[in-house]
Amino acid sequence: MVYAGMSAKTPAERLLDLLGPVNQFHDPVELGDFGMPSRAFMEDMLEPVASAGPGSRLGPLEKIHVFWFAGMSCDGCSVAVTGATAPSVEGLVLGAHPGLPRVILHHPVLNMEAGPSYMRPHELAVQGKLDAPYAIVLEGSISDETIAMQTGGYWSGQGEEPWGPNGEMRTVSTDEWIARLSQGAAASIAIGTCATWGGIPAARGNPTGAMSLMDFLGQDYRSAFGVPVVNIPGCAPIGDNFTETVAAVLYFLQGFGPLPEFDELGRPAWLFGETVHRHCVRGAYYEEGTYAAEFGDKECLVEIGCWGPVVNCNITSRGAINHVGGCMNAGGACIGCTMPGFPDKFTPFYKRPPGSMASTGMARMMGSVVRPLRRYSNAHLNREVRWDLQNDTPTGWARERSEPSGLSNFGHRFYDRMRRSGDTGRRRGGEWGKRDEWSDERDSSTERMLPGGVGHHNQ
Amino acid sequence: MCFKNLPIEFDGGGNARLKGGIRDPYSVSTSRPTVTKTDAEREAEIHRLMAANGHIKDINMDPVTRVAGALAVHVTADLDSGRYLDARSQATLFRGYEVILMGRDPRDAIFVSSRACGVCGGVHAHASAYAIEMAMGLAPPPLGTVVRNMQEAAEMGYDNPLHLYLLAGPDYSESVIKAANPELWPKAEQWACPGQVHHGFKSMADLMTALNPLTGALYKEGLDFTRVSREMFVILAGKYPHPQTVVPGGVSSTVTPQTLNEYQSKLGKLFDYARRMVAVWDDITEFFYEADERYKQVGSRPMNLIDLGFWDDPYSYDATYENCNEWGQKRWSSPGLVLNGELVTTRLTDINIGLEEFVEHSYYEQWAGDRYTDDGLGNPIGPYHPWNKRTLPAPTGKSWKDKYTWACSPRWDRNVVEAGAYARMFNTAMARTLPENDFIEVTGHSMRMHIPKGMTPEMTVEWRVPEVWNAFERNRARAYHYLFSQLVGLNSLMQAYKLFKEGEHRVAAVPPDELDKHIPKDERRGVGFWGAGRGFLIHHLSMDHGKITNYQIDTPSTVNASPRDPWDQPGAYEEAVMNTPIIEDPDPAKFTSIDMLRTIRSFDPCMPCTTHVHTGNDTVVREVNTCACGVD
Repeated sequence: MVYAGMSAKTPAERLLDLLGPVNQFHDPVELGDFGMPSRAFMEDMLEPVASAGPGSRLGPLEKIHVFWFAGMSCDGCSVAVTGATAPSVEGLVLGAHPGLPRVILHHPVLNMEAGPSYMRPHELAVQGKLDAPYAIVLEGSISDETIAMQTGGYWSGQGEEPWGPNGEMRTVSTDEWIARLSQGAAASIAIGTCATWGGIPAARGNPTGAMSLMDFLGQDYRSAFGVPVVNIPGCAPIGDNFTETVAAVLYFLQGFGPLPEFDELGRPAWLFGETVHRHCVRGAYYEEGTYAAEFGDKECLVEIGCWGPVVNCNITSRGAINHVGGCMNAGGACIGCTMPGFPDKFTPFYKRPPGSMASTGMARMMGSVVRPLRRYSNAHLNREVRWDLQNDTPTGWARERSEPSGLSNFGHRFYDRMRRSGDTGRRRGGEWGKRDEWSDERDSSTERMLPGGVGHHNQ
Repeated sequence: MCFKNLPIEFDGGGNARLKGGIRDPYSVSTSRPTVTKTDAEREAEIHRLMAANGHIKDINMDPVTRVAGALAVHVTADLDSGRYLDARSQATLFRGYEVILMGRDPRDAIFVSSRACGVCGGVHAHASAYAIEMAMGLAPPPLGTVVRNMQEAAEMGYDNPLHLYLLAGPDYSESVIKAANPELWPKAEQWACPGQVHHGFKSMADLMTALNPLTGALYKEGLDFTRVSREMFVILAGKYPHPQTVVPGGVSSTVTPQTLNEYQSKLGKLFDYARRMVAVWDDITEFFYEADERYKQVGSRPMNLIDLGFWDDPYSYDATYENCNEWGQKRWSSPGLVLNGELVTTRLTDINIGLEEFVEHSYYEQWAGDRYTDDGLGNPIGPYHPWNKRTLPAPTGKSWKDKYTWACSPRWDRNVVEAGAYARMFNTAMARTLPENDFIEVTGHSMRMHIPKGMTPEMTVEWRVPEVWNAFERNRARAYHYLFSQLVGLNSLMQAYKLFKEGEHRVAAVPPDELDKHIPKDERRGVGFWGAGRGFLIHHLSMDHGKITNYQIDTPSTVNASPRDPWDQPGAYEEAVMNTPIIEDPDPAKFTSIDMLRTIRSFDPCMPCTTHVHTGNDTVVREVNTCACGVD
């Protein structure tokens, strides 16, 4: 079914229809060295250290180009990726990760070339003249350039090309690069919530018609390798989620890795298949029905605006960088920054999600039963067996509670019996060479005193 | 303190007022700065040289790489005389954050505006919190302010090495020197590094090799240390960029002895590194000066620096505009304005009322009207002030005479000023208002810093206000700023311990479920005076009926990347490029424009948040220009 206003063409196709084909490119001779020695692309510069033999690559793919585009972005995804360690960006670029082909990264924040020299490999890719397969990565939203074009301008540009009328130089929008390069790309990867779902630039009231890569390329898009858009969300994403996904795809292409699993929205399923609450370091407070009331409190944050129970993310288990940090780990409530509904389905921030009323109410009731039981067992486990026998705890620190009452001990004995039921160490039968006095089992009077023993009682 | 261009004078009590009897006092034709050269004169010179058949090369460097965000620079180079005749800085991205914020609940602003920039990934959230809590009247408890300071010290710990080793550093590396300045290489091999005892490199050639991108030891170490500092940041803020624990009136970080110890243990690793860093950049600077005096001109421009101060005194900051001059001067880094090397004011109100933004050469329409005539305390502000600004985006074709960038032109008292982390060094050294502490002393012309013992012994280093101002001094001062910021982190950590000893654990002004009760119904204004890895960062907002009616962000890169203003004064990048001699081999076939790139990169451009936004239906647009990050 086609909805009113929905054209059969994707926004990318409509943009290319407007712009028309291109066939003229920079003349490298005329350019000279401008912008950095054009004869020494970063690729060549790193060649001596970055190229690896088949023994390190473990597969057929020798190298792959990655074109990184920052659309309507804050560069936060780039920054997050420079924090990755599993694998690290330098490991990828230097071919220093066993099993991976060398990644030739074309990234505006990291590369040595500038200006037209930097754009040169992009041109080669458009012409289909690149010497290896390439993938494109988009950080930031896609702007609707057709709006800006109406008045002769652009929202988001990268580089100038002789693609104007009569070969005039004109600013090329990021969208145009994406539209042209996505067709031949081995994979099109969206990193961060702007590129995956539109994100903040696409929020209510935005002037630019911002959209996601998936919206731009349409549901029928398949890369040259037959893959739909891969989405790694997060604002900013965890750097390792990105490098791990790239690595997983490359492990597969090298022949030794399993086919990576993606969910119905193109997210790596092993990273985004769980809610962030399930691995939350504060999750057990929820279970016991205790919640933070003030900013800075240590308990579950759901009543101060945390959406973790309904958000797909892994930051509480993976941490933000090097397994350190994580939103709720540090005291930050989840605002759903990995989700297609971000931000407008989560605002105003710092306000408790209405859906939490029912579940926190139930957890409070459960917790009112569970917490005292746990406190009771915990008190028993905080005692040496010896202290039970002598009914005295010789701590010099101020005591919070007195020695357990008879009733309390009765309960603990019952509990210990349950625990030791089926314990094969209690069966009759001698051990060779073990002297009787070393063994509790042999002394029925001591046996009775042990936790879970038949006749355990106060002295 | 007096304004030179704006028609503002002060009474005996230091209160500003408009000079009487001036018609249309803020008109661009009434209050004019002294301008040495107009664009018409520049244009005429280029035509004259071209007619004389000179080697004039027109180059559009799009994109300028190894800067954050989308920046292009167009230069006209005269290869015969070795000069850049013209330079145009272009921010090539617009996103519209200010527009998106308009009409929203003020509780949305912190996490939305944070996304203006992911390079300076925590500073916008904080600047926004400052602006909001001023409008809402929420003063953080002392520990809330201390935790903010600790976060922001850690952020500088990531930001400065990122710039020095990943972005700017490669311009001084063996790979670039051999290609672009081969005449320097034999000298570098001969030159013994005075700082060898600190950084371990015997010759400058060894040091330059260590700067090689990705493979060099200094590059890799720099990248690793950005990670250590980010770990410190996320212990307190959850993630980086875009912290998750910044709230109106404080933070929501859960701070325990474990938090403090982990922060301290990571911080302890940084001081050995800081000592190496200052030695590396001292040596690079001295080597280039010695190799060729002309390097002192690379990136030079007058010492006109603006900064708002950074890292508050937890006992003075009260979130009011009324007292901002008092609490501003108690900051670890003093607010201040330096003109031609002289500190002219340290008062935040003076800095605020002198600010204006112009869009003559930017892809926006001029707004009309002036909702406010003063700052709320009676100090006059004009129609170009951010509180009065409205942004009307209008993407059009590029024309040097007309519009050519998404950045606009912020000016102070109609002077072209420059933002940078190093502005903190100037202001703090000269203002001499630094709170007493064990690690940092100021002398009026220098800053002495005592590096605690790490694996290497204790040591005192001194940064002096330089005699010349250029690309090398920017980088050098940034290296010292790294040390300064980490010592502020250590001082703040000590304050946190003190508060813990006193039993003080509150980190926010009010509980979350009371926040909505504190959203005022009447019209309010707020301003967040803050800073980024590149210095100066300011958020202006107004709200009414409980919702945001205007939001404006001015970032350091907006200040630095600005295009011409109504009087043809070039922006800071543009001016610095035009002052840069072409020292490299001027053979047109080999020309790399490395001298220009060193100039631009020395500013640490960060373009994402340099842009503006508008308000729906293509009718009214507002600008939320922020960090030196370009145009949105």
